[in-house]
Amino acid sequence: MKVTIEERMDVEGFLFKEARYADESRYSDWESLVDDDMHYWIPLAGNQAEGELQVSILNDNRPRLATRIRQLNTGVRHAQLPVSRMCRTVSNIEIEKMEDGSFHVLTNTVLFEERTQTAAGLSVSWPARVEYKLRYKDGELKMFLKKVMLLNSEGPLRGIGFLL
Amino acid sequence: MGQVLRFDYDGLIQETRVHSSVYTDQRVLDDEMDQIFRKGWVFVCHASEIPGSGDYVRRQLGRDPVFAIRATDGTVSVIENRCAHRGNIICVEEKGTRKALVCQYHGWAYDTKGTLIDVPHPEGFKADFTCSSLKRMPKVEEYRGFIFGSFNDDVPPLSEHLGRASELIDRAVEMSPTQELDLSGGWVKHLVGCNWKMMPENDTDGYHVSFVHPSFAEAIRSNYDSAVLESEEDTKSESKAWGGGHTELYFAPAYDRELEWFGCKEDRYPAYTKAMKAAYGDKLGGEKLVEGPPHAVIFPNLFLGEMNIVMFQPVSVTECLHLHTPMMLGGVDTEVNSRIVRQSEGAMGPTGFLLADDSVIAERTQNALEGNGGWLDLARGMHREFVDDNGITTSHLTDETPNREFWRHYKSVMLAE
Repeated sequence: MKVTIEERMDVEGFLFKEARYADESRYSDWESLVDDDMHYWIPLAGNQAEGELQVSILNDNRPRLATRIRQLNTGVRHAQLPVSRMCRTVSNIEIEKMEDGSFHVLTNTVLFEERTQTAAGLSVSWPARVEYKLRYKDGELKMFLKKVMLLNSEGPLRGIGFLL
Repeated sequence: MGQVLRFDYDGLIQETRVHSSVYTDQRVLDDEMDQIFRKGWVFVCHASEIPGSGDYVRRQLGRDPVFAIRATDGTVSVIENRCAHRGNIICVEEKGTRKALVCQYHGWAYDTKGTLIDVPHPEGFKADFTCSSLKRMPKVEEYRGFIFGSFNDDVPPLSEHLGRASELIDRAVEMSPTQELDLSGGWVKHLVGCNWKMMPENDTDGYHVSFVHPSFAEAIRSNYDSAVLESEEDTKSESKAWGGGHTELYFAPAYDRELEWFGCKEDRYPAYTKAMKAAYGDKLGGEKLVEGPPHAVIFPNLFLGEMNIVMFQPVSVTECLHLHTPMMLGGVDTEVNSRIVRQSEGAMGPTGFLLADDSVIAERTQNALEGNGGWLDLARGMHREFVDDNGITTSHLTDETPNREFWRHYKSVMLAE
């Protein structure tokens, strides 16, 4: 189905807001963008199928994601003390509108991270192809899939205590 | 072999303290590569990773790239991953299946045991090719599916290296009603900016849990509440030194019902509990279902992390890899293995509710130990160690009994001829 210019603006606005909340470690604000059937997923292999008996780097259903955010909000999650300084660049946004009115979105995203928890001066970049599924709920876009396909998913990977 | 040791292991590793230079000195890493990773036994892979003929997995053992491959006769060889001709890597992918191993540089071909079978344009060579096979690890032994290897022809048998700690592997394997593990779920490679020895030490350190993992304790109700997060007086779990550098945190005394270790009610997986009792008998099967899997380090590079298997891999003096895979079980429903995989994703690795915090603390410690450094204390709980009914040195969960065991054995290995 054809994506209208207004819809494209909505989707892009959503992606930039999601990136900003993640950049600024605003965990609960980020969680407010998530729908009840959210799947937040960082697969280990590019061709990994959903549900197979293969380990993922991260594989949160909605309750697991709530736990993750609860843990971050305790204020004693050492992995993010202090929080990483982060800057996400979201580009190459392709939007497909599905029959049910939801949006299937692909982006190229690069996260630049200054890791502040251990030694000064350790910067890491996290390039990824990111897949989103979004839908309107009560007039607002919510995401029900965020699948981050890291270029270096098979590692070695440094700690990912933040919301990627 | 027979190299001159350049570091004062005797003076800098003592019964109650260890000097920080063992974590920061390049000479120590150089010695470890020979004394531990070439002369001794190291964990290589699990049989379930290479079930079929021609199946292989790549590994890095110390400084040597190798691959483990199953030949048509079912035997497993561990082979140095460099062509006998000009040294190019033979197996490029992390894992795969090969009928023959062909070097992509000049086309030399080997069979699945590493024997040279074909050389392109042979008229150009005058040499005798019988000695031009790939270099195989001279010693490879399997214990209940766990494949270990050594580069040392004269290494004592694996049974001697494992000693009593083979019982820990037994306990892991016997979480399956069919005594089969499946480690084919993939390995997550977590890079940590610390010396590799901090990983085996931390993985069997029962003292840090409530301080490094308060966010976990606050956010999640789990079996760890009773196992490792009680007050000093109420803690029932124990730390154990199995000899040979093998160490354990033993949670079973804190568990009083079946499947508590699995973080669920005892009637959650009736087919599994029934199969366990059918396989081992009601009494023993029931005991296994209460006791749960081991939380134990097999020296030097294997961690039986409850329902995870972990490998430690040094990268440099200040960096290492902590690799994990879920310990899936044979003879159980998919829903049991799914839970194992999901729990592994929750606790372990770069995003883990637990390991992401451990790795930051380890990195801070590593940074603090640079320069002059100083002494690290190992004395906690020496006055209250005892020998348990099974003959294993045991102490309070939070005591440094595992650290002392690690360093006692490490020192003897590093000083060995």
